[in-house]
Amino acid sequence: MKYAFFLGCLIPAREPSYENSVRKIAPELGIELVEMEGANCCAPFSIQSVDYTSWLALAARNLCMAEQMRLNIVTLCNDCYESLLMTNTILKENNELKDKVNEILADVGLEFKGKTDVKIFSDVLYEDVGLEKVKNAVKKPFNGLRVAVQPGCHLTKPKRIHFGQQMGIAALDKLVEATGANSVPYERKEACCGGPLRGVNDEVALHVAKQKLDCMKAAGVDGIVTVCPFCYLELDMGQIEIKRHLKEEYNLPVLSFAELLRMAMGMKLEDWELKAHRIPITKIIDIAEGK
Amino acid sequence: MHEVANTPRGRGVLACIQCGRCTSSCPVARVVQEHNPRKLMEMIILGLRSDVLDGQLPWYCLSCFTCLDRCPQRGDVGEVMFAIRNLAVRKGNVPEGILVQAKSLFENGRVVTASRMASVQREKYGLGKEPSVDVEAVQKILKKTCFAKLISKGS
Repeated sequence: MKYAFFLGCLIPAREPSYENSVRKIAPELGIELVEMEGANCCAPFSIQSVDYTSWLALAARNLCMAEQMRLNIVTLCNDCYESLLMTNTILKENNELKDKVNEILADVGLEFKGKTDVKIFSDVLYEDVGLEKVKNAVKKPFNGLRVAVQPGCHLTKPKRIHFGQQMGIAALDKLVEATGANSVPYERKEACCGGPLRGVNDEVALHVAKQKLDCMKAAGVDGIVTVCPFCYLELDMGQIEIKRHLKEEYNLPVLSFAELLRMAMGMKLEDWELKAHRIPITKIIDIAEGK
Repeated sequence: MHEVANTPRGRGVLACIQCGRCTSSCPVARVVQEHNPRKLMEMIILGLRSDVLDGQLPWYCLSCFTCLDRCPQRGDVGEVMFAIRNLAVRKGNVPEGILVQAKSLFENGRVVTASRMASVQREKYGLGKEPSVDVEAVQKILKKTCFAKLISKGS
């Protein structure tokens, strides 16, 4: 299983532990990740808000690079996933727009042909690697750990783009449960974390995050597991800010699913990775080590 | 209304029947009274151009697309939000946070870049440098579209 590895901006810059975990677990599961040298930002929410055609052209440039590599793209980030998947779908369906974008891309020596597919890492684990193989790789299951799974919006929304393309929330739950953890149902599970408004309207972003955290706390979980780096940042850093500004404390450690799986596969997180978590994850490590 | 409907992501406004399911689905509407997607669609339909484009209203939306999935009319409210943000930017209405990301994209090819400390850490822990970006290609694309002009106007 070989993929063009689209790392995006946020994970390498802010969440190297997430990246490191993916790089560690992928070879163990038979996934080969081929670097995309020179790839640009996917053009997320903020860029799409400025201009439509620029979005499509920037995202299409990345798609063209994968086409040239003759590989499907795998992303780690929900926003990269949405941007690339949506652009791929739109340009495959709309010849007029495809021509317009190709006219722009001609200047950088590329042409969109529509010959690649876009996947998110959890899809690859569930559909291509398979749940059984993931289960078999788990050496130190997190028995008894109760987690709130935060799927993030663009893993499944908008459904029109995702329908038939990907696995949905139930499959993510199954992956999490393959590590031995219990994915606890909670209210507003599909709701947004508030992350996209970070830096645009921080106060609103925090209030939206608080709605989620309230629901997770009410479900009595030990921690939060997410696949989206925006949710990761908003719910981890957000808890510190909520404590400061809204006087509410949760103490819910946040892990990326890749980190959870890596630990369940018997690989320890290194010291610098533990320190990267603003809400300490010691409680989860203790469970992993059977304390 | 037709100014919005004629943009690539704004067509949905023509289908709106003002049922309000978007507002009842919206995570921001629960915490910000001023943000009411149904009302915003109504304002677009009524042609209240400056009320829609000049203030804060286009910039509350998280683009979580819950409204888009739930709209019974395929009114694509979340997409219409992108349409009005594109129009607002053309009037010079861009929040600082968006502008910072847009400028970073133009200068670095990515919206977020590693701080110097993060770069040192990456090297130290064997992750190497951040993946390379062909900034020249990004700038060529953004100069060919109107992006480069729009962000210089917004500052």
